[in-house]
Amino acid sequence: MPLNIDVQQILLHLFNLVLLFGILYILLYKPVHDFMDKREEEYRKRDRDTKDALSDAEKLKGEYESKLAEAEKETALERARTSAAAEAEREKIISDAHNRASSIVEDARDKAQKEHDRLIARAQTEIADYVAMAAEKIVMKDEGLHDDFDSFFEKVQDTDRNSDNG
Amino acid sequence: MDAKSRKRFIIIWAVILLIILIGAVLTTDPAQEEEPIRTIMKDAVLHEHSKVNFLWFGPVNPAVISAYTVTFIIFIFALFVRVFAIPRFKDQPGRFQLLLEQAVGIFDGLAVSNSPHRHAFLGAYVFTAGTYIFVGTMFELLGVLVPATNGGYIALPAPLADINGAICMGVFSYSVILSGGIAGNGFKGVLNTLKDFSLPISMSFRLFGALLSGALVTELVYYYMTTSFIIPVFVAVMFTMLHALIQAYVLTMLTALFYGEVSERHPADQDTAALNKV
Repeated sequence: MPLNIDVQQILLHLFNLVLLFGILYILLYKPVHDFMDKREEEYRKRDRDTKDALSDAEKLKGEYESKLAEAEKETALERARTSAAAEAEREKIISDAHNRASSIVEDARDKAQKEHDRLIARAQTEIADYVAMAAEKIVMKDEGLHDDFDSFFEKVQDTDRNSDNG
Repeated sequence: MDAKSRKRFIIIWAVILLIILIGAVLTTDPAQEEEPIRTIMKDAVLHEHSKVNFLWFGPVNPAVISAYTVTFIIFIFALFVRVFAIPRFKDQPGRFQLLLEQAVGIFDGLAVSNSPHRHAFLGAYVFTAGTYIFVGTMFELLGVLVPATNGGYIALPAPLADINGAICMGVFSYSVILSGGIAGNGFKGVLNTLKDFSLPISMSFRLFGALLSGALVTELVYYYMTTSFIIPVFVAVMFTMLHALIQAYVLTMLTALFYGEVSERHPADQDTAALNKV
């Protein structure tokens, strides 16, 4: 053939090439490629695991934040409830204190009234005694009787008026 | 003329004589003593005379021996790597592991980027082709001598500097592209691949021409004694390394590119297939 082309030699080269392909594929290409793939897969897995862990952590963080918010809400509610109860208790105590104060004042007023009445009664008794004594003295002396009697009655009336106002 | 001047004259005269003598030796026409350059160049291209006996297949081009030698070297290397290096691979690679991972990663990346939809087989093939072209071309530098059928010795060339080796590589690559077309698009993939019927020829002859030109330039440089000093370091080593890398990249890149193109399923076909399924 022209250019010394020889089919047998082409086939010999082809045999050699196919042989070399098998050798290189089995001994070099596939093991190295597999190792690289395995390493890449390992790194991908690590990356995936890290992302999963991160996502779990984010989820957990969200849950904790939500629980925290709920707890804060409950605490605020409880605080409001306690505050309302305390306010009611305070109101009650104040009201009781007012009631007691009113009762004390009322008692005091009653006592004062009674004392007043008692003093008035006593004063009246004493006055009557004084009047009787004075009348006795006047009757016994018998001078200016008419004027003294009038002034006596005026004094008695003034005394009554003053005690009513007081 | 005093003694000092006479001594200086004798030294200059001797140096001039030596230079002329060296010039006369270096400019000897090798064609008068050895094979003419035309015969050597023609034989480097066609291998009509310099053949080597290979097992029971009889005389073959020396590139066949080169091909099997390269495969043997790669096999031994791969075996050692598989047995001693790969089981000790770590997640944080050392230098050698990094080199191997880079080699596999580059070809795998080439397959993935050019044919993202189908690349498992393509990655393995371009890795093999790239390794074979690179190691085979670098093998030429060793200059391993083997006995030729004409009685002399011949230095083994690069496996792909032989037209048969280059045709084999071109046709095999084309077959891989065709297989991708069939796997991806069935009969339409075959038509897509056959549309580029000139591909195996262009791939074969590009490879053959590139590697052969390197070999011919090296032959030329070594043929004359005057160019046999210092220059071969650049021509042989640097040029060989350069075109080993370039050709490995070009062939693998073209294969991956065409493979991706013919095996890609077009949206219109997918829609039709989905409709048919419905």
